Amino acid sequence: MIYTIRHSTIYDYNDPISQCYNIAHVLPRDTARQSCLWTQLEINPQPNSHTARVDYFGNNCNHFNIEYSHKRLEVTARSRVKVAPPIQSLNLDFGVTCAQARENMNRSSEDMLDALEFLYPSTLVPPLEEVKAYAAESFAPGRPLLSAVEELNQRIYTDFKYDPDATEVSTPLQTVMNERHGVCQDFAHLGVACLRSQGFAARYISGYLETLPPPGKEKLVGSDATHAWFAVYSPGEGWFEFDPTNNITAGEQHITTAWGRDYSDVTPLQGVVFGAGKQQLTVQVDVLRTG
Amino acid sequence: MNTSLKTSVPLGYPGVSADCWDEVYSRDGEIRENWKYLLDSLQNLGPAELDERAAKVGQILRDEGATYNIYQETPASQTWQLDPIPTVLGSEEWNRVEAGLRERAELLDLILKDLYGPRELLKHNVIPARLIICHQGFLRSCQGIKLPTEQQLIFHSADMVRTAAGELQVLADRTQAPSGVGYALENRNVMARVFPSLFRDSHVHRLSIFFLKIRSALAAIAPSGDRPNIVVLTPGSLNETWFEHAYMANYLGYPLVQGNDLTVRDGYVWLKTLSGLSRVDVILRRVDDYFCDPVELKNSSQLGVPGLLHVVRGGRVSIANPIGAGVIENTGLLRYLPAAAQHFLGRDLRLNSVKTWWCGDRADCKWVLENLPTLVLKSIHRGSNYIRVFGPEQSKKELDFWHAEILKYPERYAAQSYVEPSRTPAWQNSQLTPLPTIFRSFAVAAENSYSLLPGGLTRVGKTADSRLISGQFGSLSKDTWVIASEPERQISLMAAKAPEQSADDTSVDLPSRVVENIYWMGRYAERTESSLRYLRTVFVQLNARDQLPPAAIPLLLHAVTRLTSTWPGFTTANSSLMTNPERELQAVIVDTARHGSVANCLESMLRSAYQVRDLLSLDTQRIINNIRDQLDELRRSFASEMSSAPEEELVHIITSMLALAGLFHESMVHGTGWSFMEIGRRLERATQTTALLRAVLVEVPADSPSAVMLPPLLSSLESSMTYQRRYHGQMNVANGLEIVLLDRNNPRSMIYQLEALSAQVSKLPGSATRSVLSKENRLLLDAKSSLQLADLNVLAAVNKDSRKREALDQLTARMSNILIECNKTLSALYFEKTMLPSTFGYSDGDEGK
Repeated sequence: MIYTIRHSTIYDYNDPISQCYNIAHVLPRDTARQSCLWTQLEINPQPNSHTARVDYFGNNCNHFNIEYSHKRLEVTARSRVKVAPPIQSLNLDFGVTCAQARENMNRSSEDMLDALEFLYPSTLVPPLEEVKAYAAESFAPGRPLLSAVEELNQRIYTDFKYDPDATEVSTPLQTVMNERHGVCQDFAHLGVACLRSQGFAARYISGYLETLPPPGKEKLVGSDATHAWFAVYSPGEGWFEFDPTNNITAGEQHITTAWGRDYSDVTPLQGVVFGAGKQQLTVQVDVLRTG
Repeated sequence: MNTSLKTSVPLGYPGVSADCWDEVYSRDGEIRENWKYLLDSLQNLGPAELDERAAKVGQILRDEGATYNIYQETPASQTWQLDPIPTVLGSEEWNRVEAGLRERAELLDLILKDLYGPRELLKHNVIPARLIICHQGFLRSCQGIKLPTEQQLIFHSADMVRTAAGELQVLADRTQAPSGVGYALENRNVMARVFPSLFRDSHVHRLSIFFLKIRSALAAIAPSGDRPNIVVLTPGSLNETWFEHAYMANYLGYPLVQGNDLTVRDGYVWLKTLSGLSRVDVILRRVDDYFCDPVELKNSSQLGVPGLLHVVRGGRVSIANPIGAGVIENTGLLRYLPAAAQHFLGRDLRLNSVKTWWCGDRADCKWVLENLPTLVLKSIHRGSNYIRVFGPEQSKKELDFWHAEILKYPERYAAQSYVEPSRTPAWQNSQLTPLPTIFRSFAVAAENSYSLLPGGLTRVGKTADSRLISGQFGSLSKDTWVIASEPERQISLMAAKAPEQSADDTSVDLPSRVVENIYWMGRYAERTESSLRYLRTVFVQLNARDQLPPAAIPLLLHAVTRLTSTWPGFTTANSSLMTNPERELQAVIVDTARHGSVANCLESMLRSAYQVRDLLSLDTQRIINNIRDQLDELRRSFASEMSSAPEEELVHIITSMLALAGLFHESMVHGTGWSFMEIGRRLERATQTTALLRAVLVEVPADSPSAVMLPPLLSSLESSMTYQRRYHGQMNVANGLEIVLLDRNNPRSMIYQLEALSAQVSKLPGSATRSVLSKENRLLLDAKSSLQLADLNVLAAVNKDSRKREALDQLTARMSNILIECNKTLSALYFEKTMLPSTFGYSDGDEGK
């Protein structure tokens, strides 16, 4: 499947901003099942400096500074991405058991180096006893790891209510646990937290999910949104992606922008501004099938 | 050890009998060779003389403003503590230790490069990846960033302790922004002054060459060619080692800057100076790496420079030590240094670390849990949650707590054997007392290896059983003498100053923050002086009531409040204040919490002075110290009943303030900084005089002669004598106003202030290039002509109905507005508008990224 994606972020400020220094994670990366055919980043007003680089986790990341007065910042990422159907078999009831996986995580080897980054608590995924207890139910030692994760994915979907009004992006995990509702970011963080609490490496993935209009209707411009899910590492088997918001494994409709230990590693747009006053944020996403 | 065996007991030094090394006595009770000359000399001086020298050491440190700020204590700064007895290292041992430290720094450099580069050590499991990944000093955004030189680690310090067997071992490495080398230099300077002949004859290795090496090392990492601009980045005056930052900046000849003084523009880092932006090539940082850039590192940091790391990444500014170097300040790493040495160097290290275990290793963890009561448990990361737990001091309950904590987060902890530190003699209660000792070394990158400071910073615990030996816990420091086999040539940076620094007039490059502090220092000094003068006058008047009619007293006291802005003060309806004003007057003088009080102004002045301490002369420091003491003295004497002549108590401070003013005039280069000081002073004096005129002369008290307030006004403005001489005591307000407003020869007249202001303002950077008269000059011109056009008799005339001098009221109101406007204009033009950055898109957490 080939998608054409537009992701624009607009900040409107009540009072002028004299300078801003930013980092953007809005251009999709290459992954095992996805390749970026074309990307373009448009920044208004014109930045004084702008550099693109690949960050520590292999994501496309853009640094730009605007060093003169402005009242509006508009960052638009456009890309064409080819996504292959998932290679993994849907039968997850075979393979490495939880006990084996956990033990293998303790073994140091070169290819484990990357996975280790995702094994420990991080900024938005603190260690919580409550999470550990919640997760434990699914991870019996003799059970195949992926089957356990599939169950976890389903439990999050069932036990937690999807409620777009419930949280802002930075909802602490504790609050999500207490209130049992949240948005996709929260569920992804929760999945990551559960897995790490059990001794497995887990990534937070940010990206997009293609949505289809109701039958017979035209797709509306700007109707899509950013999405988030998680991936687990099974030693010897690799990474497997799960989407707890939709109770599915990630498939051809999941387009990856970036991954990290949690949202704070892959925030779409973040930075420092010099200026006072209020700001208004508008985000628009379009994901269109173009081939 | 049996002390009776000793041949002699110098200055009552008992030596130690415990299981630790005695730096002075050998096992058989003999004085070690390296100590003989020193101890002989000290003994010849005798206890009384040593007491005196010790006092002199303290005096010099205090005069030079050497402080070490201790957190969570008020007053925050405390004089740096230096014991007059140096510690001694022999040439032979030093050579060994030096070689070991050099090798250690080389190894750490290789590790640092590897961790942010190819990560061979992790791939081959020489160092467990978890140890690095779980360390908050591992800054992922620094991956791949390199200085242009081969070496990445520019500064290295090691804290060392000598074991009972006499072996120096490393307790910890400092690789961020190691502090202490400035203190070591200050210690040396003080010792060389207090013990000139002893120092001269002891053939001690000189320290100054090390600072030349620091300069070369910093010049070498500059991104491009010649004459790099180098600055010292400090977190500011609240930092514990602020004194050292200012001292080092001064000694090395680099501007001392804070994060807000720097800005990222067009892909480079710039220093914001009065004359515009000046590009910075190299930053010697004393800010911890994680705080250096709110965009990529700690989002809430106000100490850094937004966008800095990305400029570093682009190779357009170099920072020493590089951001990210904190990753090797990892307690657990000590456990793996021998393996890393084998990996890189193919040999064992010459200098051992104290035996260390990392709890992230299963076997180590098991051992640590079993032996916790005898070990020292430490976090691997020296951040805000850093812990150091002495096993032997823990209760069963505490041990259980740590046991559980280790099991929960094994990767976060390491443990070390507890080494009882060796003992060095320190001068306490007029005798030599053995105290536990640790030693910090300083190395700087040079010629593909490292140069060591031939000496170091020795610190001793407060008491014989002090376990924590750190400035934060009130330890004493010592000069460290490495005895050379023959005398050395003397080199001082003061003589050969800054060849590699650009030769521009440095005063032009003053950061605007510094200039603002100088300006406010001038203003507060003047405000303090004016308040004190008026208060003195008030006391004199109150104690000689026959001079003023009772109806004038409220006016006299109201003026206190109006002049100092200590509202509501005497202006409240409370009439008892008029009959018993002492308490309120006391508060106006010594209550620091009262905004506008003398003490409050003085504190503000001292705070501004502290911010620019690197620009103040030694004599200035001394006077500032006196002022501090006098303020304390004043507080003490005013705490009880007010004395019979309270005005006398104010005289000392007034005198010191005058000395300060004199020094600024006579010993500060009349450059841009001085101009701002002068502008501050003149503007404040004009403001105060205007306020005083309004407060005492506009209204005429009932049943009093119309010139009744003229004498207090003149005396407060130091103009009584002039008036007496000129007008032979005839009290006439118009005459008084002439002296106070228009006399060009009276350094306290309004016209004098305005002319001095015009002169300075037109000297400021940028002023000459503007073709139209600048706003501040226009304001001053306006003020001057208003004064000159005024008719003195009209100003002095009293309106019969209102009993007010209406024209004077209008003129002073106008003056007051102009002066306020003038301050605003200058601030807007020259002072950095401290607009604080705010972050967006970040998450609450502040863990390392």
